[in-house]
Amino acid sequence: MTTVLKVEGLKKSYGTKEALKGIDFEVQEGEIFALIGPNGAGKTTTLRIVSTLLSPSGGKVTFLNHDLKKEPEKIRENISYLPEEAGAYRNLKGTDYLKFMANFYTDTREKAEETVRRGVGIADLGIALNDKVGTYSKGMVRKLLLARALMTRPKMAILDEPTSGLDVINSLEVREIIKRFAKEGISVLLSSHNMLEIEFLSDRVALVDNGRILDAGTSQSLKDKYQAPNLEVVFRSALR
Amino acid sequence: MKKFTNLLLKEIKELVNKQLIISLVMMMAIFYFVGDLAKTEMKKAAAMQKISVMDLDQSELSRGLTASLKTANFEIEWSQGKDPEAAVRAAKKSDTYLLMVIPQGFGESVANLKPEQITTYTFLRSFSVGGIRKSEILRAVITATNNYLSNDILRKKIPDVPPDILKSPIKSKDYVIVKDRMAEGSASAISGFVYSQSILIPIILFMIIMYSAQMVISAVAMEKQNKTLETLLTVPIPRMSIVTTKMLAAGLVGLLSAAIYMIGMKSFMGGMTGGISAGASMSGVIKQLGLTLTGKGYVLLGIALFFAILCGLAMAMILGVLAEDFRSAQTLILPLMLMILIPYLLSFFADVNSLPLPVKLLILAIPFSHPFLATPNIMLGHYSAVLYGILYMAVVFFILVAIAARIFSTDRVLTMKLRWGKKKVVL
Repeated sequence: MTTVLKVEGLKKSYGTKEALKGIDFEVQEGEIFALIGPNGAGKTTTLRIVSTLLSPSGGKVTFLNHDLKKEPEKIRENISYLPEEAGAYRNLKGTDYLKFMANFYTDTREKAEETVRRGVGIADLGIALNDKVGTYSKGMVRKLLLARALMTRPKMAILDEPTSGLDVINSLEVREIIKRFAKEGISVLLSSHNMLEIEFLSDRVALVDNGRILDAGTSQSLKDKYQAPNLEVVFRSALR
Repeated sequence: MKKFTNLLLKEIKELVNKQLIISLVMMMAIFYFVGDLAKTEMKKAAAMQKISVMDLDQSELSRGLTASLKTANFEIEWSQGKDPEAAVRAAKKSDTYLLMVIPQGFGESVANLKPEQITTYTFLRSFSVGGIRKSEILRAVITATNNYLSNDILRKKIPDVPPDILKSPIKSKDYVIVKDRMAEGSASAISGFVYSQSILIPIILFMIIMYSAQMVISAVAMEKQNKTLETLLTVPIPRMSIVTTKMLAAGLVGLLSAAIYMIGMKSFMGGMTGGISAGASMSGVIKQLGLTLTGKGYVLLGIALFFAILCGLAMAMILGVLAEDFRSAQTLILPLMLMILIPYLLSFFADVNSLPLPVKLLILAIPFSHPFLATPNIMLGHYSAVLYGILYMAVVFFILVAIAARIFSTDRVLTMKLRWGKKKVVL
């Protein structure tokens, strides 16, 4: 297995506040790696650093042998980030938004069209894709954004609360899509509050609290280790 | 280049929305409508005017006076009655704006050099420019008649001396010198003419700079408010391209909007002056003195404006980063607006060179002062001042762009914001 992402001793401070106090983990090719933890634990900060939005205060992040600090643009070519509270351009139609994003990742019109076709399939919004994004519901926007994140077939999709704002049916669909893409070789780094979702989706889980990883492993190994019926109990036990 | 164009087109699409198009069309229509209305009113004022006249004298002189009113394009409506009060009452009921009462014995009293007073009444039925002009015309007629009468009296009393010499023993011939050029004319009349001809320039400059800056600050703030900035910052495109496309799109749309506004404004101003062109003699003097914008002048003014727009865009870009949403962006544009407003207002009534040195330096330190100063400097041939101004703006622009690029290339673009509560910039 190829290591796609390697995070070593990652630290991040906002002024005097230490958001990350040294985080280490690796993500393999085609693996779904999840960060779980309470609000303010450092999950989103970790995802934002890996997606080149924030600069780390310490430690090292290597993505496909590219150093994040030295070659952020190389990393951007191979990742796709879906923030928790993301939006799309309200004046653009759904398909135009996908076209706009596809043009950044492709060099020919044919490739761009193929990427958009893939996005249309993932979004599954039907004729609503011809309407302006401003008319979409929160769930529709989320599906469009997920389509944008996956249609480019990145080496790694970084998904912050991917099913946030979606109803049960749509959430199930989105989880299936993420699973399918991972099977095709796309690595996924995600964070979620939803422990059931994490258990269903992830190959490995890291329990994050107060800027540190408390423990990491497969859902089953963690449940066995803490003799817990589910990840919620695992997390509570790890905190103690 | 494909990615750059892709982003630029998106930025333009975001800026050119229905609201912008509707507001521009509405503004054009309003300017055109009001301008056309003003033009019609001014033409009406310049056309034949009705005046009520009560001639209680019926002398040769009073008939001569009313004849000169007809020559001055007045249509006379004779007022019947025996006293001025009756004439006022009658005029009130009619649609006339002016009433003139020539008293009994007027002709004789003038001949005896003990003139009776002519009484004029102006019925102020509105505060429009047209209404005011009517009484001005009447005043001019009385002045001309006075002149004619005084000349006549002087000729009779002192036949050997021309009346003009008696009335104005001191003669003057006024010349105005601009650098190495000289022309006959009054400095105040020339200044007034140049001012009236170039009054639109500062307005154009103000609008273009404000428009473009407003657009870029809103564009950045909207990216934050709509939560699209984070996604945009993770796509594989140089951060500098994000900065430049936003500035370029805002600059282009700002220029286009300002041009449309100005066409409307020109139509409006044309209406306000009633489409009356300046006298050929004044134009000749202005040309003789070189107080016109030549091709070279326009190019220099254009370059000065271009760099001022660039400075405004770069400054707005930085301020936009500090904004959390569209609403806070509107507040953040205030310092920029003040920096444009100061030289804009100053350009109407003050000469920067005559200001105290610290104030002068302060004004010159504001990059937006230079395009406002460029017009008079070009007209007066002070080209080096214009070039120094352009050079200064270029330096300021590159410093600002470097700051903007630095902010966008680091995570400060997401973490930097102005917290009003704590009154400090968080980095």
